[in-house]
Amino acid sequence: MASATDTALVSEDTSETEAVAAGAVGLAAVLFALSLASAFELVTITDPVAGVPVVALLGGLLVLLGLAVVGFGVGSRLGYVATNPRPTAGLVASVTFALIWFVVGGLVASQTLGLGTAGWVVASLLSGGVAFAASALPREDIGSTLPAGALAAFAGVVFLTGVIGPSWVWDLGWEQQASFNAEFTIPVLTAFCSLLVGWAAAKAYGGFGARGRHVGAYVLVYLNAISIIALLFLLVAFTVLKGLPGLFKGLALGAGAGPEVTLVGVTFSLPVSWPFVMNGVALLNDVNGVLPAIAGTIWLVVGAVLFAVPLGVGAAVFITEYADRGRFTQVVEIATNGLWSTPSIVFGLFGLAFLVPRLGNRKSLLAGMLTLGFMLLPLVVITSRESMLAVPDEYRDASAALGVTKWQTVRSIVLPAALPGIVTGIILGVGRIAGETAPILLTMSGSVAPPGSQTVDVVGGFQFSLSPPFVTNPELMRATSALPYQLYSLITAGVGESSNISAIDEFRWATALILLVVVLGFYAIGIATRYYFRSKLQHE
Amino acid sequence: MSETRQTADDGQTTTDGQTTTDSELAGGASASPGTDQPLEVTSGETRERTREEWVEHEFEGDAKLSVSDLDVYYGDDHALKGVSMEIPENSVTALIGPSGCGKSTFLRCLNRMNDRIKAARIDGSVRLEGEEIYQEGVNLVELRKRVGMVFQSPNPFPKSIADNISYGPRKHGDLDTGLLANLLGRSDDDAVDELVERSLRQAALWDEVNDRLDDNALGLSGGQQQRLCIARALATDPEVLLMDEPASALDPIATSKIEDLVHDLAEEYTVVIVTHNMQQAARISDQTAVFLTGGELVEYGDTDQVFEDPQSQRVEDYISGKFG
Repeated sequence: MASATDTALVSEDTSETEAVAAGAVGLAAVLFALSLASAFELVTITDPVAGVPVVALLGGLLVLLGLAVVGFGVGSRLGYVATNPRPTAGLVASVTFALIWFVVGGLVASQTLGLGTAGWVVASLLSGGVAFAASALPREDIGSTLPAGALAAFAGVVFLTGVIGPSWVWDLGWEQQASFNAEFTIPVLTAFCSLLVGWAAAKAYGGFGARGRHVGAYVLVYLNAISIIALLFLLVAFTVLKGLPGLFKGLALGAGAGPEVTLVGVTFSLPVSWPFVMNGVALLNDVNGVLPAIAGTIWLVVGAVLFAVPLGVGAAVFITEYADRGRFTQVVEIATNGLWSTPSIVFGLFGLAFLVPRLGNRKSLLAGMLTLGFMLLPLVVITSRESMLAVPDEYRDASAALGVTKWQTVRSIVLPAALPGIVTGIILGVGRIAGETAPILLTMSGSVAPPGSQTVDVVGGFQFSLSPPFVTNPELMRATSALPYQLYSLITAGVGESSNISAIDEFRWATALILLVVVLGFYAIGIATRYYFRSKLQHE
Repeated sequence: MSETRQTADDGQTTTDGQTTTDSELAGGASASPGTDQPLEVTSGETRERTREEWVEHEFEGDAKLSVSDLDVYYGDDHALKGVSMEIPENSVTALIGPSGCGKSTFLRCLNRMNDRIKAARIDGSVRLEGEEIYQEGVNLVELRKRVGMVFQSPNPFPKSIADNISYGPRKHGDLDTGLLANLLGRSDDDAVDELVERSLRQAALWDEVNDRLDDNALGLSGGQQQRLCIARALATDPEVLLMDEPASALDPIATSKIEDLVHDLAEEYTVVIVTHNMQQAARISDQTAVFLTGGELVEYGDTDQVFEDPQSQRVEDYISGKFG
């Protein structure tokens, strides 16, 4: 075989060159993190870090990295570094580099040099072609490092010379105001270049060839995963930081500090006073709170789950265990999938047009519960069906061979084995419906900033009488608020200003945080339930 | 008595079976097709026509199960062709044969488990102590209580060991351990404990698991799981125990435990066991039925006779390992 190379079975200890390559990978990761930080304005690009402006720092690091990687590739080609490169970097890498350099060449020609259409097309084709040739024709060590390193060094030079500086703006010249500014462009370009160089450096560290490709892919996948997790974490942290001041305003601890509550006939004072979650909005409150909205959200979710779960699991049992597999079950499956992807405002309209007129012709908590229940139903059906299908047929056979009837088998074997999956579905669904605004807006929204006296008390609201209908619950039939709805109206409709809420911004962020906490609380309950059922099924 | 005959179902000409003489045919079947059209045989198998007296087995006492002219079709596939046999009480009957010969299908007909396969169609008659089980109004729950089954791969429920054992009787309503029963003081907790211990002892598993009856059954080893499945089947107090290759997924030590167990069970129960392993069949069974390719019962008789002096040349070839 022409391309066969002799590869040592045992690689020698870490050499200095390997250490350089590893250092380059690490530097690329640091640069990536730095660019993400500046993209989210944790670091401002004009601010100096250790006396050097961030732009210059980013540019300098890029140049350094680019040169290091190119140097490594050239050194490997000239035989100073022991590697196992393949004859070529591969078609995918070549096409990618060609596309990148095509864009870079075009932008430089049209924006920086101001050439016309013909000019930038030629420049694009030229730079793209050169990049393709540079990565496809030479050996892998040159082909995968030279275009990447050159791009990073070029971007670094552009930043250092101030061609793209802190005050740089590219007005796209559209009818609408649209422009790229330096605060956005520089971090994004840096992040992109550092990913590319990091990949090339990781390949160099692995000595190119199969192992180099493995290490390169590994670095890309890891950087990607870490940045996604960091992004999620950032989102939550942002909300928490913004929300904390409003959340704990007026918090007091100590015996007798809190409001009086009556439980099972005993009245006592809570040892904690937490105005934001214990008050409503009222003129005389020291600190306004969102208690009615919290209660509304919790009752909404409880009602929707109580309505949707028995129905959904029942439907899933029927189509999985009893109905013959055929046209009918297919139609049901397509319909449930379609319902799950139906926009929530459509469910809201259904609730408004169908449920509200039949439930006292006004918006009510019950209408909201049922609307959200209808939204939850398809997901419960889908996930319950999937997890029941995943229960091994051997269990059903074994049960039937013991002379146990089908219903008993479903109840005692299939459902317990499917429960963790069903609970997972409910968790996902609750996560969606707890944050829904549109259906609530149409079916149950009452006052935007209700006082604490309007907190729904569904359990205490039941009234019994001797004449039909024997049981009534006015609390269920009343319009009330919920956290996402309250948040929406406070922010978009500017309702807060007229509701005597001081420090309205703090109030909004604290409401958002409470919504997050309530939803995560439902998650935690769901996950604990799933863990419990799973541990009953599994042998540890 | 060598002569050619039309076979009933495929119209192909075959020579009648010679049990001892026609070694030429036996040896030459795979090498040269000859003038005869092949019956449904695998390579190396002698062609011959099954004779009725080969499947007649005389025994003392009444038949526990009597099967006559049983045909099973899976869609267009004729899986079992006119099988008739009588299975004596309190004995071990082994069903052997190559893969795909219908022995598991036959076994599943004895407690109507084939009803659970939509494509399956069953003709013929199976009688349990003289009562036809393929007729209107048969209570499947009662039938399967009386004819228990153990499957090829161990399939305990993901419950505790004790719950696995007591599952059948509880679901039949024979034992009540529910909350209401507890409150009303009618709980059968003691009876359950007794049942669990008795079944586990019968299945030779008690000594290994008596200190962890509340652990999940999936934590047992494969051999223990299979004995648990046998104990679970015994807990419903069956009269007949069907076993579908119960030891095929187990190691030799677990297999020998299952074999000893089957031997002991035959004192109280009628055991019908499917096996791939001819030594196993020879060791544990009182009578052996040989199914061969095409879903035919070719020979049925005392195990000693079938293994030492088979009447059919095909059976002899199969037993001596020429095919299958």
